[in-house]
Amino acid sequence: MSWFSGARTRMQLLFGRRAAESRIDEEVRFHLDMETNRLMREEGLTPNEARRRARATFGGVTQHTETLREGRGLAWLGGMSLDLKLGLRMLVKYPGLTLVGGVAMAFAIWMGAMTFEMVNMIMNPTLPLPGGDRIVQLRNWDVEKNTKEPRALYDFVVWRGALSRVTDIGAWSDQIVNLTGADGDVRPVGIAAISASAFRVASGTPLLGRTLGAADENPGAPPVIVLGYDIWRTRFASDSGVVGRRVQLGDSFATVVGVMREGFKFPVAHDLWRPLQVAGTSTPGEGPALSIFGRLTPGASLADAQAELTVLGQRTSAASPETHKHLRAQVTPYVGSPLEASTSDQMLMFLFNFFAIALLVLLCGNVALLLFARAATRESELIVRSALGASRGRIVAQLIAEALVLGAGAVIVGLGAAGIALNRWAPRFLEINLDTVPFWYQPHLSIMTVLYAIGLTLLGAVIAGALPALKVTRGLGTRLKEGTAGGGGLKFGGVWTAVIVAQVAVTVAFPVVVFYERTELNRIRTFDVGFRSEQYLSLKLDADIGSARSREDTSAQLARLGSRFETLRQRVAAEPGVTGVTFVDHLPRDEHPGAFVELDGSLGTSEPRYVISLAAIDPSYFDVLETPVLAGRAFHAGDVAAGSQVVIVDKGFVDQVMRGANPIGRRVRFARRSRSGEVVTPQPWMEIVGVAKELGMASSVTRERPSGVYQPLSIAREPSIKMVVHVAKGDPLSFARRVRALANEVDARVRLSDFQRLDKVADPMLWIIGMWLRITSVLTGIALLLSLAGIYAVLSFTVARRTREIGVRVALGASRRRIVTAIFRRPLIQVGAGVVAGGVLVGLITVVLSARPDSGSAGLAVAARAFTLGQAGQIAAFAIVMMGVCLLACIVPTRRALGIEPTEALREE
Amino acid sequence: MTTRPQADVLRGSLDLLVLKTLSLVPMHGWGISQRIQQMSKGILEVNQGSLYPALQRLEKDGLITSDWGMTENNRRARYYHLTAAGRRALGVELESWKRFATGLDAVLKTT
Repeated sequence: MSWFSGARTRMQLLFGRRAAESRIDEEVRFHLDMETNRLMREEGLTPNEARRRARATFGGVTQHTETLREGRGLAWLGGMSLDLKLGLRMLVKYPGLTLVGGVAMAFAIWMGAMTFEMVNMIMNPTLPLPGGDRIVQLRNWDVEKNTKEPRALYDFVVWRGALSRVTDIGAWSDQIVNLTGADGDVRPVGIAAISASAFRVASGTPLLGRTLGAADENPGAPPVIVLGYDIWRTRFASDSGVVGRRVQLGDSFATVVGVMREGFKFPVAHDLWRPLQVAGTSTPGEGPALSIFGRLTPGASLADAQAELTVLGQRTSAASPETHKHLRAQVTPYVGSPLEASTSDQMLMFLFNFFAIALLVLLCGNVALLLFARAATRESELIVRSALGASRGRIVAQLIAEALVLGAGAVIVGLGAAGIALNRWAPRFLEINLDTVPFWYQPHLSIMTVLYAIGLTLLGAVIAGALPALKVTRGLGTRLKEGTAGGGGLKFGGVWTAVIVAQVAVTVAFPVVVFYERTELNRIRTFDVGFRSEQYLSLKLDADIGSARSREDTSAQLARLGSRFETLRQRVAAEPGVTGVTFVDHLPRDEHPGAFVELDGSLGTSEPRYVISLAAIDPSYFDVLETPVLAGRAFHAGDVAAGSQVVIVDKGFVDQVMRGANPIGRRVRFARRSRSGEVVTPQPWMEIVGVAKELGMASSVTRERPSGVYQPLSIAREPSIKMVVHVAKGDPLSFARRVRALANEVDARVRLSDFQRLDKVADPMLWIIGMWLRITSVLTGIALLLSLAGIYAVLSFTVARRTREIGVRVALGASRRRIVTAIFRRPLIQVGAGVVAGGVLVGLITVVLSARPDSGSAGLAVAARAFTLGQAGQIAAFAIVMMGVCLLACIVPTRRALGIEPTEALREE
Repeated sequence: MTTRPQADVLRGSLDLLVLKTLSLVPMHGWGISQRIQQMSKGILEVNQGSLYPALQRLEKDGLITSDWGMTENNRRARYYHLTAAGRRALGVELESWKRFATGLDAVLKTT
């Protein structure tokens, strides 16, 4: 208690200095007034005399007040506050340094905070629900396959009935259905078929109507759904009368019973819920894929629940060894790191943070260089302070305080920028990288991140402040004795030389990274895909074909689905404005599957060694894309039949695999290689019947020219395909709504998604590269600024230090060239060494980027050989330009040096 | 030899006197000095310049707390209160003082 109140008093003193000071003054004033009154009352003194006596009795008022102040620790605070004030004044006095150093620190803090927030969010997710840490998932883990066994209907029923340490046990399965909105628009949406207990576990309360109830789970209960806030807003125009309305879900109908509040997305990212109806009995290992959840009962720990579940799991394993022999029942927190299984991924995440901290250290090291140069120019002031009794620690503290003030500004700017970026960039970043973004991934500036950023700032301030402070105050006493105030005691030593060389090297190398990124961005953006992709609408077609009992059953279902797809094609093709409709399994510029091929009686070897890109296309593909085959023929309806062994290759294949020879009539076959490199299970031979143009048979980021092979696609055998619609006039995307309506007329179960214009396929990748481009551009700008400021500071320092020497040289008649050479030889060697090191770095980057990513060290060697004289010349030219840019920073100090008048320089002593 | 008021109170005993005074009623600094003088019938006079550092020390140690209050004359003053820890410390100090006084008395009575 006494410790606590003592600590509280100290905290009050620390943060309420002004209040504490006025309290001391007021207490002393009160005391003197009371004593004065007493003396007037009891001894009949006049007011003036009474006050004089009171003051005399009290003793030296000022002295006592000071004693009190010191006792309260305010003296130290006063000193600190003075340091901070002085620091602020120095920042205003040197605006250039403040700007450069502040921007550099702010960027480093921004980068650190962003990385920490994203890594922490992914590595240590927490459920943003009341009591979220007590919500658990239950699962069967297959120890043989090292994966979750999803068919857990039987176990779900057993666990729900028997577990006492976990309550509100429920389950859900994911489905995608077509939902017809209030405006008649049909779109596929993810729906969770879920137990009613989900709404209790996740504390979900409805905005309108009710949530799902236990009665809805009974098989045969009337079909009902609950709408999510977003769907209600966008698809039902926030209609408050939506409860009670029947809506179409695929080919059936359900009644809306409620609308959830904004933000409710349990179990993952859901916006629509229907009851999970479970029949009374089930067989182990059968049923749909289920995820099971629950809440720990009050007082129960995860270990308690696990112990109970283990007993149940062992019982089932003993009773049904054929399905449960390898299964272990587990209870785990509801959200865990997706990377828990992989140490290398965890290491990668750690490396991200490490990289951000390394960047901070590097940038603050550069800021330290600037602060050192400034501290060096204040050497006389520091010597005087030292002479007046300031300890070395006191002077170091003052210089750190200056860096702290700079850091305080930087952390505000850095965190502000991080807040904006997390709001604007992070959601898009997650969307591109994850299929669905779970509701617990909510990138924002968390308290942890703010504290981390403050820690980074302190680290940065210590690096930027303490290093130069310790260096500049070393031997201060000796210098005082030698009377060399303002003399030549300080030098830029080895550490600073290394900092300058490294800084210039990085400055030279960064623009090259930016250049490569920009080149890549332009390459992807301006890639010629071989047809007028902006006139095409693409969409994904699939349907829930249900659980087939046999292969024949599946074939029959796929055939029925195929006929629906065909009908839809005819209906779409008949629309005005549509000039063609076709199907393909992988869109141009999407990732394509690869395979090894072997050529029949081939070019000297029968080893399958060619990597090709594969796509399956409808016979109408080349017609609809208006790219007629270059040789041979296109596919025709007969090729689609099962067992037909024909392929069409593209020009890339002809040039690279056939080395320009005529491929028509030649045979190829696919092969798979085992890990040891042996060929296994060769596929049947296929005849090449045609040659097509190159039509983007590789993902947008692939730089190599692909060798494409097309196979005929049968829409009656595919559960999911891409439809490509040629809309010659107007924006193809505006046709999407009509396609949806037609599909709904053909079969309400056919789901349409991923509508996009074919020239936009690479957009997500462009966005990611664009984001990195922006970050590296800013970093390049900062590196350049720091370099120029650093060189400028070093040269100014040199000129100031050697003013007298320059004066003497000029007086003795030295030429201007000789003076510049003599004075700037060392700094210029440093800059030159940095430029050379940067050039080498650029060469290395070029070699690495030219290497084929899949060919390892051999690729590097090939790329190194391909490192031509021309490229070397380009790098040399770039290095010279950078040298010139760096020398820009020398202009002012050089002019200053040359402008020194010998008489004035000598008089300075 | 004439008796004269004790000009100063030993530092150790000042803490004890302050704690004892505050154990009766919360009080402001001036009040404490007056109260000690009254209770000692004018024998003990608190050096006013050492009173406030002592109060500050005791507050830092968590033995007393303070807050603003109003005097009878409607003036704002800083009132000091004894904390539970202070009450305990007072007990210990009293005990130790009594032992010291007994010892001192025994030595002085020795002829």
